[in-house]
This record gives sequence, structure tokens and C-alpha cells, in this order.
Amino acid sequence: MAKGESPLKQFEIQPIVDINFLGFDISFTNSALWMTITTAFILIFFTVPFLKAKKTNSVSDLYPTRMQVAAELGFNFINSLLADTVGKEGKKYFPLVFTLFMFILFGNLFGMIPYSFTFTSHIIVTLALAMGVFIFVTVLGFVKHGVKFFSFFVIPGLPVYMLPLLIPIEIISYLSRPISLSVRLFANMLAGHTLLKVFAGFVSALGFFGILPLVFIIALTGLEILIAFLQAYVFAILTCLYINDALHLH
Amino acid sequence: MPQLEQVEFFISQLFWLGVFFVILFSVLTYITLPKIRAFLNQRDDFIKSHISKQDELIKKAESIIENYEAKLTEAKNEASQIINDAKDKALKESEDLIKATEEKIQHEIKQTEERVAKEKDTAISELNDQLKDSATNFLSKVTNIEKGNINL
Repeated sequence: MAKGESPLKQFEIQPIVDINFLGFDISFTNSALWMTITTAFILIFFTVPFLKAKKTNSVSDLYPTRMQVAAELGFNFINSLLADTVGKEGKKYFPLVFTLFMFILFGNLFGMIPYSFTFTSHIIVTLALAMGVFIFVTVLGFVKHGVKFFSFFVIPGLPVYMLPLLIPIEIISYLSRPISLSVRLFANMLAGHTLLKVFAGFVSALGFFGILPLVFIIALTGLEILIAFLQAYVFAILTCLYINDALHLH
Repeated sequence: MPQLEQVEFFISQLFWLGVFFVILFSVLTYITLPKIRAFLNQRDDFIKSHISKQDELIKKAESIIENYEAKLTEAKNEASQIINDAKDKALKESEDLIKATEEKIQHEIKQTEERVAKEKDTAISELNDQLKDSATNFLSKVTNIEKGNINL
């Protein structure tokens, strides 16, 4: 960190290629670059190991390669996540949850590389993802249940005089879903990266004793990698729960 | 905070997010995930088919063992039957032999006794005759009476 540079400078968007389309600025920025890298990495990581997959004819063909095992791990992880939260009907939504999880996970993880850019640390990106999920599950609920979907806001088994109080609360909690979903991810990424930068500033400022914040940074980096995974997991599991709510109401 | 200040890049970020999310979603949905699923299913099917084949083989082996054991007990029974028969037969034969021998011996003893008694009788009667003869001779010589006239 250069002197006087804000720890928030790492979140600045820098255009790489200026593009103007119908008056809209859709420049290819560092954010877009890391989205490209993330997308390319996920596609390569999960597709390439299975391109040359041969038919299983004998026991020796059963052993998957290392890359296949790694890809299977991710596949089975999301598979069991969906099965546990939504059940059998959840299979249809597997590609969506898988894409969301992997996109956010590798976005977060690549953000841990020094000098890289974390596109999930931008509220506009996380809000767009969360709104996408929100609109998707709302439409799904209406397609599955029609007008009956509104009964989702009525908690069953509650005395009638409580309803005027609780229905607005339920509606507000439903509407705040995309906000909580997006802010959780954004704030975690923002706080983690800022904290790392601040302590990195102490390393050079303290001279010899800079070794103390350096040790702290090393530990914090481990924690941040955990959070990178955890936040992607939280996003995916909440998406699953919302899908479950839309499918089964209560 | 650049996240809220750089409003001019909002559309760019949304645009590229949309582009890459759609690309990722489409490729994963139509190419990658079906490939992985097919791969995993194939392996599961292979394992399942081998498990069912194994069950079949185990059943077959069990039936073979059962068959073998049944045959073994049958053979054992037959063998003990044969041994018992042979024992009985041998016992009977030896008993018969002993009985027959005893009878034969008894018979011979009887015959011998009869012959002895007969010989004794003949010997006594012969002696009697001889005695008669000699007595007749002696009397005729003494009395000069013809032998034919003497009647003892």
C-alpha cells in the first residue's frame, strides 16, 4: 500500500477496455476480467476432466482421475445440499444452485490472490445475484401455486387476531430477503479485505515489529479463505431454502 | 467507498455479470453437468450390476454347498447302512456255522454211540453162540449124544 492510499482503494473499478453500447458504458473492467477468469476456471475445472471419460467396463476403469474426484466433490456437495433442503424435487434447480455457488465461491477465492479484484465485494453484483434469486423463487412460487402463494405470508395455526400484525412482518421479511442475502456477502468480502489491507499497512509502518501484524495477516488470510467458502455456502443454502419455500410454502 | 461512489460502472458490472453468469449457467447446464452426471451414473450402474452379479454368485455357491452337504449325508447314511448289513450278515453266518457244526458233532456222537451199542450187542450174541457151540461140543463129547440132539 502506497502512503496515503485508502484501504478501500482495492475495491476501485478500473476500466481496461472502454466500450460504449447505445449510450451505455459497458467497459470491460477489472471486475469483468475476474469474472472472465472465474467463469473460465469453473468451466475448465468441471468440464475438462470428463471430456475423455471412457466407458466403465472393468474394475480398473472405476478409479476416477484426481481431477475427476475434485470435480465430483463439488458436484456431490451441491447435490446433497439440494437433497437435504429441497428433497427430490430440487434436482431441477441443481444447475442454478451449482452455478451460483461456484461463481461466488471462486469469485471469493480468486479475490484472495494478491493484486486481484474481488467482484463479490461490490454490492451491485451481489444485489443483482440476490435479486435474480428473489425474482426466480417468487415467480416459481406463483407458477407452482398461483394466487395460493399469498398464503405463504399467513403462518398456519395462529390466532386470527394476530394476523394483522404478523402478515406485514412476514411480507417485510420476505421482501428483505434479497437485501440480507446481498449485503451479507458484500459486507463479509468488504470487511475481510479491508481488514487485511489495514493490517498490511501496519506491517510496513511498524518496522521490525511489523512481524506481529504479519503473523496476524497470515492467520487472517486463512480465516478469509474459510469465509470465502462459507459465504458462498450460505448464499447457496439460502437459495435452496427459498426454493423449498416457493415449492412447499409452509 | 468505491462500491457506492463509482455509480458510472454499475451498468458495466451488471452487463458483464449477466454475460458471464449466463455463459456459465448455460455451459454448465447443457454440457458440463450432464457429463458429470452421466459419468457418476455409469459408475453407479457398474457397481450395482456387479453387486447383483455377486449376490447371484453367492446364491449359486450356497445352493452348491447345500447340494454337496445333502449328498454327503446321504453317502454317510448309505455307508453306515452297508457296514451294519455286513456286520449282521457276518454275525448270522458265524452263528449258523457254529450251530451247524454243533449239530454235526451231536449227530456224530449219536451215531458213534449207536454203532458202539450195536457192536456190543453183536459181540455179546456172538459170544453167546460161541459159548453155546462149545458147550454143545463139550456135552456131546462127554455124553456121546449127537450134537443135533442136544438142545440147550
